[in-house]
Amino acid sequence: MTYQRKTHRHNSYQHKHNRARRCLVALTLAMLTLTGCAYQPTQTTLYERLGGENTIEAVVENLLYRIADDPEVVVFFANTNIDLFAESLASQLCDVSDGPCQYEGPPMDRAHQHMGLTDVHFNRLVEHLDAAMQEEGIALGARNELLGRLAPMYADVMRLQ
Amino acid sequence: MMLFQSMFSSSSSPFRLSFPGCLGACLALCLSVCLALAATPSFAGSRIVGTGGVSAIEGAAGGGLSPWAVLTSTASEQEIGVTAATTRAWVDDYRLTVTSASVNIYDRVEVSVARQTLDLETLGGELGQDIYGAKLRLFGDVLYYPWGIWSAGVQHKRLVDGTVPTALGADETRGTDVYLSASKLLFSAVAGRNVLLNATLRNTDANQGGLLGFGGDQGNRSWMAEGSVGVFITPRWIVGAEYRQKPDNLSVATEDDWQSLYSAYFFNKHLSLTGAWLDLGDIAGLPSQHGGYLSLQAAF
Repeated sequence: MTYQRKTHRHNSYQHKHNRARRCLVALTLAMLTLTGCAYQPTQTTLYERLGGENTIEAVVENLLYRIADDPEVVVFFANTNIDLFAESLASQLCDVSDGPCQYEGPPMDRAHQHMGLTDVHFNRLVEHLDAAMQEEGIALGARNELLGRLAPMYADVMRLQ
Repeated sequence: MMLFQSMFSSSSSPFRLSFPGCLGACLALCLSVCLALAATPSFAGSRIVGTGGVSAIEGAAGGGLSPWAVLTSTASEQEIGVTAATTRAWVDDYRLTVTSASVNIYDRVEVSVARQTLDLETLGGELGQDIYGAKLRLFGDVLYYPWGIWSAGVQHKRLVDGTVPTALGADETRGTDVYLSASKLLFSAVAGRNVLLNATLRNTDANQGGLLGFGGDQGNRSWMAEGSVGVFITPRWIVGAEYRQKPDNLSVATEDDWQSLYSAYFFNKHLSLTGAWLDLGDIAGLPSQHGGYLSLQAAF
């Protein structure tokens, strides 16, 4: 008797539970579809969505000011030719974002070897770069995509520390 | 049902009297610490905001229901981070309160403690347990490694009063979960937004996370899968869904998997607020428990 009651209750619960689960799945799908529809997939390159040469140069300059103000990071630039560095970084960002440039600087591992970089410095630079892009008016989607293309460089940058 | 009621009401303990005061004090302390931290944005870890997740109900860094592979706070190499969180969940017949704290040492080891109190609002009485957790980052990083971050963790749980769980058929009043967890952020994956994926495999004999004891007449230790998907609408705001498979060891108290829809906002590296809608299924004989969840975390 008790068992029967439990089974009955459980069946009706199972039904409700399935309904709730379907609701949850539907909601999640609806959420993804909505955000998908709101997004206009474009044929343009990331370089164009970043704003092209002018914006990239502005981002690099903005980033350099942030580095100059950060005592923990600026020390790594003590012996750096800043003009050359700015030019090289801009061409790299242009290249990475499918722009009309060819990065001809040193590979990332050699460029950073034996600097004693830690995750702390790497994270700091990511934050500065994102803040610079934000301040120069680059949209979130383009920022995320550029960060996504730069993220795998972590392995190269850290290889020879 | 009468049997349940009498069993549960017999479990009210002196702890119940002191807890609201303690929680109030904790909240006040939390808030004052938060305000102080919000005013001085120094002493933050160097990891990117949001990469420490929030505090899950068992104290470990994670979502709400499940631990993630990321370690708590934004501490990185050579940095130490501390977090404190207060969490409350309301479902149809129960209310769960969690107070937890955790430490991240060099983004390698996380140690956490949590006190859970489940108020049995319909049945009467309360159940409580303490959870001591540790998580080791095996390798990787949620942002920079192609395979994400991988961690292994352990959660040792002790019931405050095992009378009711034992009466329901639980074998033990103490238990230990072990889990392996992986997390990965996919940049610009949906509509230019970053997507966070988490998967956790847990070996456990805990009934309802341990609040109904460990093991039972229908089973013992088993492997359970947990997972979540979240979309960072902005770098500070993530919404998503979480799922946690559960064992079903007690024949008198059917147990279901847990799921949630969550939204977490990171005001800065020091303060986050998480809200969720919960579907916890059957709990201790009462069917279809739905409700809300709020959690406030302070980190420094």
